[in-house]
Amino acid sequence: MGRALANRRSLRRLMLITVLIALTGCATEFERRFDEAERLRSEAAAAGSEWLETGDLLEQAQQAASRDDLDAAMALVERARFQAEMAIKQAAHEADNWAGRVVK
Amino acid sequence: MRKAAAVPGAIVAALLVQQTALAGPEEDRLALVAHFQSRFPDIPFAEFANGIYAIDSDARSQWLEIEEFPPYEFAVERGRELWQKALPDGTMLADCFAAQLPDIRGQFPNFDVASGEVITLELAINDCRIENNQPPLEYDSSEMIDLTAYLAFEARGTKVDVRVPDDQPGALAAYESGKRFYYSKRGQLNFACADCHVTSAGQWVRADRLSASIGHTTHFPVYRSKLGGMISLQKRFAGCIRDVRAKPFELQSTQYRNLEYFLSYMSNGLEWNGPGARK
Repeated sequence: MGRALANRRSLRRLMLITVLIALTGCATEFERRFDEAERLRSEAAAAGSEWLETGDLLEQAQQAASRDDLDAAMALVERARFQAEMAIKQAAHEADNWAGRVVK
Repeated sequence: MRKAAAVPGAIVAALLVQQTALAGPEEDRLALVAHFQSRFPDIPFAEFANGIYAIDSDARSQWLEIEEFPPYEFAVERGRELWQKALPDGTMLADCFAAQLPDIRGQFPNFDVASGEVITLELAINDCRIENNQPPLEYDSSEMIDLTAYLAFEARGTKVDVRVPDDQPGALAAYESGKRFYYSKRGQLNFACADCHVTSAGQWVRADRLSASIGHTTHFPVYRSKLGGMISLQKRFAGCIRDVRAKPFELQSTQYRNLEYFLSYMSNGLEWNGPGARK
């Protein structure tokens, strides 16, 4: 009887530790993705091509993370990353193509 | 064989595009004027200073009625008072400008060799204040708008004559930077300024028609009915940038000053007719 109780407690502790590790892992993964998205946003800004809401999305992602709503935070970071990547591609494309639009 | 012939063709095409991009300011201006005169053959050149009201006759009649009691008059009056009021050390703003009152507006934008930058009227006003130990004005403050409205009013009837000196590579670089900005697509909607105001000028965008590039800078600051207040040219730039869902730049940033330099050059030969009234 005493042994069964001890086993149950150990199992519960193990589950708690697993959840904590998973949560910490998610938080770390969020930080990694956030930093990457922020780096891309900054690159787009340096190219003069940042889109309107990329910075706001990153801010909202941080707020969601601070509420421990990691699913929402990850989704927001992903949208910001996509926008920043597109803005960088746009700048590179325009570097080669703007001159073709000048009225002759 | 066909492939071999295509390669020199592609090189020639690339060189032509490059040459077009590097055409001088006057070639650019003449090409743009010719573009709009071909597109709107019934509109005299001078009329382009009236922006969309040169193109849209319905909007023009409303505008003419608004002009009977101009909503920008209060700004002009406040600007006159500010201009005539001495700074605390007794200096007048007029002392900082080497021109008669009606010609001050037309001195800007210009390229300043010493700083290697485009100087706008707003920057010159603030430089004057700083030289006389006064804090600079916020670029979209009512004081700055009022002062520029007054100077625009006094300049009415004089002609835009922006210079890009041949012997100043920095000036040409600033002009080219503004031109590149104007023709580059940006934002989530992937639009260039030129997409609306060159390619699609005169066409409808929702309930409004798009104005032509030439004449864009002659009438600022303007009273905008939809905002119920005055705005500067660069605030308008920021509005357009936001409309295509790109992040706007700071007012009087290098990007906007270079853009103003290019776009003002495109209006050379038109009359300064600010301040204006717009929807």
